[in-house]
Amino acid sequence: MPKQTVPILKQEEKVFQNLEGQDDWSLAGYKKRGGYKGLKKLLTTDRIKHIEKMKESALRGRGGAGFPTGMKWSFMPDPAKTGKPSYLVCNADEGEPGTCKDRDILRYDPHTLVEGMIIGCYTLAAKTGYIYVRGEYYDESSRLQQAINEAYEAGFLGKNIQGTGVDVDIHVHLGAGAYICGEETALLESLEGKKGQPRLKPPFPAGYGLYGCPTTINNVETIAQVPPILKNKLEWWTQHGRPNNHGTKIFSISGSVNRPINVEAPMSIPLKELIETYAEGVIGGWKNLQAVIPGGSSTPMLNKGEAGKVLMDFDGLREYGTGLGTAAVIVMNQDVDVLRVMTRISAFYKHESCGQCTPCREGVGWVYTLMKRLSNGEGTVEELEQLQKLTKKIEGHTICAFADGAMWPVQGTLRCFKDEFERRIEAKEEVA
Amino acid sequence: MTNLTLTIISKQGEVEVIVPQGATVMDAIKAAEQQVPHFCYHKRLSIAGNCRMCLVEVEGAPKPVASCHWPANDGMRVNLDSETTINARKGTMELLLANHPLDCPICDQGGECELQDQAVAFGSDRSQFQEMKRAVDDKEIGAKIKTVMTRCIHCMRCVRFATEIAGVEEFGATGRGVDTQVGTYVEEALQSELAGNMIDLCPVGALTNKPYAFTARPWELQHTDSIDVMDGVGTHIRVDHRAGKVMRIVPRECDAINEEWMSDTARFSWDALSTNRLTTPMVRKNGKLTACGWPEAFKKIEQSLKKVGRDKIAGLAGDLHCAEDYYAFNAFMKETLKTDNVDARGDGACVDSTNHAAYIMHTPLADIEKADAVLLIGTNPRHEAPLLNVRLRCLVQSGIPIAMVGEEVDLTYKYKLLGDNPQVLEDIANSKNSFGKILQKAEKPLIILGSNVLTRPDAKAVLFSAASLAEGIGAVTENWRGFNVLQRMAGRVAALDMAVHPVAGGLETKGILKALSENKLDVLFQYGDIEVPCEMLQSTATKIYIGIHLTEQAQTADVMLPAAAYTEKNGLWTNIEGRVQEAKAAVQPPLQAKEDWKIFRALSAELGKPLPFNNQAQLRQAIVDICAIYNEPNMLVQPEWERPGKAGKMKDTPFTLPVTVENYYQTNEILRASNTMVACQAEILEKRKVEEAA
Repeated sequence: MPKQTVPILKQEEKVFQNLEGQDDWSLAGYKKRGGYKGLKKLLTTDRIKHIEKMKESALRGRGGAGFPTGMKWSFMPDPAKTGKPSYLVCNADEGEPGTCKDRDILRYDPHTLVEGMIIGCYTLAAKTGYIYVRGEYYDESSRLQQAINEAYEAGFLGKNIQGTGVDVDIHVHLGAGAYICGEETALLESLEGKKGQPRLKPPFPAGYGLYGCPTTINNVETIAQVPPILKNKLEWWTQHGRPNNHGTKIFSISGSVNRPINVEAPMSIPLKELIETYAEGVIGGWKNLQAVIPGGSSTPMLNKGEAGKVLMDFDGLREYGTGLGTAAVIVMNQDVDVLRVMTRISAFYKHESCGQCTPCREGVGWVYTLMKRLSNGEGTVEELEQLQKLTKKIEGHTICAFADGAMWPVQGTLRCFKDEFERRIEAKEEVA
Repeated sequence: MTNLTLTIISKQGEVEVIVPQGATVMDAIKAAEQQVPHFCYHKRLSIAGNCRMCLVEVEGAPKPVASCHWPANDGMRVNLDSETTINARKGTMELLLANHPLDCPICDQGGECELQDQAVAFGSDRSQFQEMKRAVDDKEIGAKIKTVMTRCIHCMRCVRFATEIAGVEEFGATGRGVDTQVGTYVEEALQSELAGNMIDLCPVGALTNKPYAFTARPWELQHTDSIDVMDGVGTHIRVDHRAGKVMRIVPRECDAINEEWMSDTARFSWDALSTNRLTTPMVRKNGKLTACGWPEAFKKIEQSLKKVGRDKIAGLAGDLHCAEDYYAFNAFMKETLKTDNVDARGDGACVDSTNHAAYIMHTPLADIEKADAVLLIGTNPRHEAPLLNVRLRCLVQSGIPIAMVGEEVDLTYKYKLLGDNPQVLEDIANSKNSFGKILQKAEKPLIILGSNVLTRPDAKAVLFSAASLAEGIGAVTENWRGFNVLQRMAGRVAALDMAVHPVAGGLETKGILKALSENKLDVLFQYGDIEVPCEMLQSTATKIYIGIHLTEQAQTADVMLPAAAYTEKNGLWTNIEGRVQEAKAAVQPPLQAKEDWKIFRALSAELGKPLPFNNQAQLRQAIVDICAIYNEPNMLVQPEWERPGKAGKMKDTPFTLPVTVENYYQTNEILRASNTMVACQAEILEKRKVEEAA
C-alpha cells in the first residue's frame, strides 16, 4: 500500500483528487468529488467569458512548451465565418521519458479529462473532440473509453448536452508508438491516417489543422484543469504559484529518490522541497545528489547547487537555462553514471527522430555516436568542443522542436559535466 | 490584392523588392535576383521544407526560417549573408554530407549534381564527421532508373512527383530517423509512364538514368534543341550527343506544352536510333536483300516503274514524319508519279485536310486547367498523350467533374464511366444522362475525342454527334474552344495538313490494302511502318520501302532506301494542338542514309520529273503556300469552326483503344527497335501476369 501523501494541498484545492487511485474512478465517484457540477451553467455562459477567464488564470500548457492556453484558444476563428468545423484535439501521446502524469489521469481520474473536453469543445465552438492516446496506453485508453461511455449515458456527451443545445462528440484514437506523434502537427498527420511527421508551420493548427480545419491541440492535464478554473473563483487558482505561473501541477518524480511518485503540487514550489516533501528525499540524502533533470528528458539538467535553489515553474527554471517541460523530475545521485544516462537519452532521440528534415535525421544520430564515444573516454578533448558546436548546427534549424529537445540535454551535460568527460578521456589516454 | 515590400540584404547591399500577397520569402529573394540554395523545393511540386538548406535570417525572428515556405511579410528584412544565415547553411550542408558517400568520381550525376554545386558554393571546405557513414541497399526498380540509395539526401522530390504528378503512389519513405529509406515499399519495377522525370528531379545521384549509366559525362555532351515524336504532344526535348551519337534525351522547359516533364517513351527510346538501322540502300537480288549504292537502287526503281499505269502505283506513309517529308512524299507521288493512290492514314481515319477543325485539339494544352467539366470519348489519354493526362489529373484533383464514354482504363484518377458506345452521346446531349446536365451548366466544358474513334465504320456520325454535343453545351464559342480530337501519333496532324491522302478519287488506305491483296497493284511506295499487320502488305507488287529501321515490314521490300530519324533532320513537326514546331538536326543520318525529302527530290529527278524545290528553304516556302500556319512556327492559330463529320446513325459497338498499358512501350517502329522499351514492356506484362495469378 502506498503511503499517504503529505497533505500540503487540501483535497478541495486539487484538480485531480483521485490521482493515486484511492477512490472510485467512475462517474459516480467523480460526481461525489464534485465533478460535472455546474457544467450546465458553464455551457450556457458566453464563450468569450471563458476565454477571458482562461487568460486571466494564466494557465500555461502542461505538455511542455508552456504556451498560455487562453491565448491559444483565442486564436481559433469563428466557425460561422470560416464555414469549416473546429476541432479540439487532446494530446495524450505521453512519451517524454520520465513523464507519467497523464497516465494516472487517464486511469484514475478520466472524467476530469472528459469534462474538460466538453467545456473545451464548447468554448472553441467545436462539435467534435479527439483524444489521441499513445498506443502503449491500451488499458488506460480502455478506461477512458469507459468513462466516455458513462458520460454519454448520463447525457454529458452527445447531442443537446443537459438540455443546453450544445453538441459534443469525443473519439479516442490510439497511436502506434512513435514519440514524434506527440508533436502537435505530427499528431494531426497520424490522426488523419498518414505517416506521423510534423507539418511546416505556418500555417498553424488554429488556421489549418485537422483535415484542414481550425484545430486546437492541448495536453491532457491542461484540458482537465479547465473545468475547475472556470467553475471556481479566480483566486482559487491564482493563490498558488508566482504570477504568470499560477496554479497546481502534477510532478512525476523518479530516479534516485526514496519514493518515486506522481503528485499534484503548487507551482513555484522549490525543487528541493518538492523532492524532500513528496518523494521522501534523495537516496543517501541531499548531499548525495549529483544532478536533476527538472522537466523530462528534453530539458537540460541542473547540478546539485542549482537544484537546491531553483523554483519549479516555467520562469524559475528558465533562469537556469532549462525548462519546466512536463515537470518530470529525474533525480540522479552520486551512484549514477550521468554520462551513461545522457548517452542513453541520446540513443532514444536517435531512435525517435522521424527523419523528415536534414539536421535532425543526420545530426541526432551523429550526436549519439559522439556521446557514446566520449562518455567512454574514447576521443579527444577537442571533440567535446565539436560536439557543442554540432548541437548548435542542429538546434533551431529543424521543422519541429524535436531536435531542440534532443540537443538541450546534451548541451546541459556538457555544461555540468564537461570535467567528467575530460577526466575519462585523460584516463583512457593514460592507459594507452 | 495587396503587394508586400521586403528588403533583401546581401553582400551587394540592400535591395527592396515588391512581391504579391501570398509569396514566400524565397520568391522575394528570387525577385531580388539573389540565390538561395535549396534541394527539396521544386516549383512544380508541393513544398516540403525538409532539406533546410534555404534557411535565412529574417530580422526579428528568433531563429532562421526556411525561405521556401515562410510567408513574406510587409517590411520584412531578409539577410542572405549574415552570420546566422551562413552558419545555418554551412551546418546543414555539413549534415547533408555527413552520410553522403561523396563518391562523385564514380557517380553519373557528377557535373550536373545540385549537391556538388551547392556544396562548393555554400558549404564548408571540411567536415568534422569522423564516424562510420550510413550505407543503404540499392533498390531494383526496373529498366529505366538506376538507384544508388546511399547517395539519397531524402528531399522527397521523387516521392512527391510520383504522388502528385504521375498519380501513382509507387514511391515512399519507409523507416524513420537516420534509417529512413526511399523506395517502392515492395521492391518492384516502376509502372509509371512518367518515372524518368524522377531522374531529373533527383538533386543527387541516387536516381540516375539506367540505360545512360557510365556512357558519358555531362560536360562532354553537345546539346541540340528538338521536339519529341513518340506521341503527339510535341514535348520540347534536348538531344545530348557526343561524336555524332545520341547519348541521351532530356526535357526542355516549356510551360505551354510539357512544363518540364517528358514521357518515358520519349526519354528512353534513344538507343533505337543506333539499333537495327537502315544504313545503306538495298535491293532484292535472287530473293535476298543486298546492300548497294544509291544509283543502283534508283535504277531498280526506275525499271520497276517502266510501263506501269499510274493507277497501278500506290503510296502509303507512316506516322513518324515531319511536314517537309510528308509534303515531299505527297508531291513525289502525285506530281512525279501522277497517281492519287496516296494515303498517310494507315489506321483509316475518316478525316482529311479539308477541315482543319476535325483533327486537332482546339483547347491549347495550357488552357486545359481552365476547363470546368470534362468528357472523354473513346480515349486513353494516359497512354496516348501522357503529358495531357498530367494536366487532366491536375484538373481532376482540383475537383472538376470528369466522365468517360469508352473502355474503362486506369487513368491515375477517378472518373465517371458513362458507357462504352457512341449511343451514350445522345443521352448526354438530351441531358437524359446526369452528366449531360453537368456539361450544360459548365462554362468551359471540355470534350476529348480519341483518334481511334475516327477509324470506326460509323466514325463520321460519331464525330458529328460529338461536335454537335460540343456546340450544344457551349464548348464552341468565341471565348472558349473545348472540342478536341486527340491524335496519338506525332506525324498525323502534319500529314493531314499536307493533304497526304487521295484528293481526286484515288485509293484510300483501305482500298490500297484491298488492291494489294488482290494483286492489282504493280508498285507500292511504303514510307515508314504502317499500323497494320505485316501480312496485309504482302503482294506481287514491287515494294519500295523508305524508312529508318529494318522492321518486319521493311524486310518484305524489293528496294529499301535509308532515311533520317527525327534527331537527324531539321524538320517542322505539328503537335496535337496544331502548333508547328521546329526540331534541329542533332547528328548526321548514319552512313549512307539521307534526309527524307532529299531522297524524294533526287528520285524525282532520276525519273525525269524533278520536284520544284532545290533546298529546304524552297521546300518550306512550298509548304507555306498550301498551309499558311507553317510560316510562323510556335504560333497557335485557332481554326475556323466547321462542324466535322456527317449526320448518320451511330452503332452500339463499344469504343476500342489502340494504346493501353499492355502495348504502350511498343507503339511505333522506333520504340519497337529500342531495347530499353522492350524491357519496359516485358516488366509491365510480367507484373500483369503476377497480378492475374494472385
